[in-house]
Amino acid sequence: MTSRSTTIVVGVASLFAGLVIPVANAQQASGPVKVVQLTGLAGVKDNAKGILSVENGHLHFVHGKASSDVNATSIQDVATAADSQRAVGGTIGLMSKAAPYGGGRVLSLFRTKIDTLTVQYRDAEGGLHGAIFTMPVGTSEVIKKELVAQGAHTTSDKEPAAPSAASSSTPNKEQKQ
Amino acid sequence: MKRILDAGIKLSLFTLIFSASPLLAQKNKPAKIKAAAVQVDMIQSDEIKLPAEFQVALYENLIRQLEKNGFSHVYRDGDRNAASVADLVVLHSTVRGFKAGSERARQVTTVSGATSITVHCQFTSPEGTSLLEQDVNGKVRFFGGNLKATYDFAKKAAHVANENFFTPGRE
Repeated sequence: MTSRSTTIVVGVASLFAGLVIPVANAQQASGPVKVVQLTGLAGVKDNAKGILSVENGHLHFVHGKASSDVNATSIQDVATAADSQRAVGGTIGLMSKAAPYGGGRVLSLFRTKIDTLTVQYRDAEGGLHGAIFTMPVGTSEVIKKELVAQGAHTTSDKEPAAPSAASSSTPNKEQKQ
Repeated sequence: MKRILDAGIKLSLFTLIFSASPLLAQKNKPAKIKAAAVQVDMIQSDEIKLPAEFQVALYENLIRQLEKNGFSHVYRDGDRNAASVADLVVLHSTVRGFKAGSERARQVTTVSGATSITVHCQFTSPEGTSLLEQDVNGKVRFFGGNLKATYDFAKKAAHVANENFFTPGRE
C-alpha cells in the first residue's frame, strides 16, 4: 500500500517536473542559441542550422566554419513571434506520407512550438535585407532584448505573444498551427 | 464523295482558325518595356496586419526570383547604387489580402488550411510614372509551411516581370 502511494506521488511529481522544467529552461536561455536561418542572411544558405548570439554589438551567426555578422546599429526592426513545426520531419516525415490508409497523417498532429526572430537591417550601400530565424521557445525575446540594448531598433516593443500568422484580412480567420 | 470533301474542307478551315488565333493574339501582345535594372521596395502592408516574417520572406524571395528569372541587376530598397542607373524600374508591392492557413490542417485533411497572399505589384519609373500594375497571389495548398506561399508569389511576380520587361543584352 505504501509503495503504491509512493509510486503515485513520484509519478505526479515527475509529471509536474516535466511540465515546469522545459518552460524554466526556455526562459533561462541567454547567450548562444541553436537556430535555423530560414532565409535572408547574406552568404548563408536557406535553412542553415547554426548558432546565433549577440556579441560586441553584432548579431553573430555561425554555420559550420562560416560565420556572418550584422551590426546591431544597422538593424532597423526586430520582431519575434510564436510558431510551430512538425515534430517528425525530414526523411522520416516524408516517408510517413507513404504509409497506408493515411496513417502518416497522424504524425502531422504532433508539432513542437518554436519562436521566430525576424530582423531587418541595412548593408553598407543602404540596401535593406531581412533575415528570419527559428529557435527554441523563449529564446527569441532574449536575443531581441540584447539586440535592442546594443543599438538595434524595433517598431514592436509591446508585441502581443499571439501566434504570428493569426492576423488575416478575410473573415475566415484561422490560427497558424 | 462530295460530302466527304465538304467535311474535309470544313475541318481544315476550323483547324486553321483555331491554330491561327493564338498567333494573332501574340501579335496583339503589348511590346516589352526596356528596363536595365529593377529596384525592389519593401513590401507594404498598411491595411492588412501581416506578420513580420511573411513581409521579409516576400521581399527576400521576390529579390531572389527576379535575379534568377527577370533582371540582371536587382537593387534592394534604399540601395544608393540604384540612383545612377539608367532605365531603372521600381517595384512597389502592397499586400491586399492574406489568409494565414494552417500547415497542420493541410497535412491532416489535404483539402483545407490553404495559405494565400494577394499582393498588388506596381512597376514605376524612378520618377513615379506607373508602367505596369497587377495583382499577384501566392498560395500553398498541400505541402509545405505557410511561408511557402511567399515563394509561390515571388515566382509569379518574377514571371510577370519577365513577360513585360526586357533587359538589353539578356534576351
